[in-house]
Amino acid sequence: MAIKNKTNTNINTNVSWIAFKTMVKRDLLIQARDKWEFVFRVAMLPFMLILLYGYILPKVGLVPETFPTQMFPGIVGMSILVTGIHGTAVPLTMDFNMSREIEDRLMAPVNVRIVALAKMFVGIIESWIGGLIVLPLSIIFMGSSLKLTLNLQQILVLIPILLLAAISSATLGLLVGTIIKPSQIAAMFPGFLIPMVFLGAIFFSWNALTVTPIIKILVLVNPLVYVNEALRAVITPQITHMPIFYSVLGIVLSILIMGYFGAKRFIGMAKGK
Amino acid sequence: MSEIILKVENLKKEFLLSKDRKINAVKGISFEVKRGEIFGFLGPNGAGKSTTISMLTTQKEPTSGEILIDGQSALENPALARRKIGVVAQHNNLDRGLTARENLIFHAKYFGMDEATANKRADEYLEKFGLKDRQHDYVRGFSGGMAQRLKIARAIMHNPDILFLDEPTTGLDPSYRTILWEQMLALNKAGTTIFLTTHYMEEPEQLCDRIAIVDQGELKAIGTADELKALIPTNNIISIKLAALDLAFVQQAKALPEVENATIQNGVLLLYMKHERPDFNQILEWIKTLNTSLQNVSLSTSTLDDAFIHLTGKESIDNGHKK
Repeated sequence: MAIKNKTNTNINTNVSWIAFKTMVKRDLLIQARDKWEFVFRVAMLPFMLILLYGYILPKVGLVPETFPTQMFPGIVGMSILVTGIHGTAVPLTMDFNMSREIEDRLMAPVNVRIVALAKMFVGIIESWIGGLIVLPLSIIFMGSSLKLTLNLQQILVLIPILLLAAISSATLGLLVGTIIKPSQIAAMFPGFLIPMVFLGAIFFSWNALTVTPIIKILVLVNPLVYVNEALRAVITPQITHMPIFYSVLGIVLSILIMGYFGAKRFIGMAKGK
Repeated sequence: MSEIILKVENLKKEFLLSKDRKINAVKGISFEVKRGEIFGFLGPNGAGKSTTISMLTTQKEPTSGEILIDGQSALENPALARRKIGVVAQHNNLDRGLTARENLIFHAKYFGMDEATANKRADEYLEKFGLKDRQHDYVRGFSGGMAQRLKIARAIMHNPDILFLDEPTTGLDPSYRTILWEQMLALNKAGTTIFLTTHYMEEPEQLCDRIAIVDQGELKAIGTADELKALIPTNNIISIKLAALDLAFVQQAKALPEVENATIQNGVLLLYMKHERPDFNQILEWIKTLNTSLQNVSLSTSTLDDAFIHLTGKESIDNGHKK
């Protein structure tokens, strides 16, 4: 009997794994068929921010020459977070509420958490692409004024931070995707993404907010602050930043909190609540 | 393998509308479906059919009760239950961004099927459901009939023991409905139990082994079509065609001593008589008092439609298929 149970568990694990891979493949295939939409959606916001704050304004002389170096980690973090949120939340709410395409996946003989994990995994992959897209844009427009030197040790620290940032964006996407309705996607930009981006410690480091103490405390609810401060600590350690222990802790806590509520809401929706 | 593929015990579903307002959509229903049956689940709009089907297919959590699929609780282990069931939803929930073939292959792989088996089964069903020529086209361009065929093909890709179909023939033209039924009968012959809801009364009457009639969240009756028809107090129904119909006639007719119930269906006044061999004279006398002329009068035996009206007090949506 014990042996039989073990075999069953193995079969279930195997089915769950195949189902997970297929669900990820499905989402990536759909996105790949619409690749220009993806490139446009992911590249446009960092492109405009880099063009304005990293090229035009320093040239005009309204911001200092050092500004591109100041904002570079923030642009990477922002691109990761926004891409991942968008990549998870929008398809999720559309699938659940409009096309109901997700029903076939929810009917798979696996725990519904697998469906949520597959959605998040796709968000993680997309968010990395989002982060990578920033690199060529930065080199083209800010290359001459970027003062960056990364040694091996910094790169080794950077990798887990990028991983955590991507997971954080996918969990936030899961939560947002279960809250907003398709009719509210348009409102998501001004109501949620814009405040997150502009108060997300891209153009300023968190320590610099000491002059505006109330804002300094309020922005702590913004997960992008922790992501950017952690990236800043590694990529541009010469610029003032939150101690890396606290910024990484902030990312981990935001993953746990948003992941918990996102998963809870997702399972509730899968059970028709 | 259990002989009873589906066992439902005291199933209830409450929806909370606000803090102190709730709807009892399903009020404790119990029934069984035997392996190999074609089981019809009938009821007027809002009877709780879709809610029940959602619960049976693990898509909604019941407030209380138990659902056993092949002897195992679908509430305790929904993933295991899903392996044994196939679901054809009422709405189109196909993956629009995928081709017809991909819809089948991806579905099979969600069930852990290997590539070769998935391809083999996809070939078979695309051929059987007449979709082979369109297999590489995106589903978003499919007509209603094609989408419906693909939904059924997809639902049986993993070889379920029981197939749930929610209003499978609604919106299809009559000739296509016949084809679909032939396919479902073939599937049933091959061993798949079929559970369906429908609005068209002649379908369950001709094709279902057993039928359950639900109304307002309660199970009103369950049995074969003949057993349900026998529930009507008398088998005798007088249908009267008048030049002009008035809703007041129904009330007047109900007041007649020999009439049990009366309704208007497809422009014909139907009188359900209390006894067999009713007194025609009395009825004809009453008709004379009406402000209209008699065009036809006939005696007929009851249909499933009549049983439905008798049990639910509502007319089925099916217009013009009977009588």
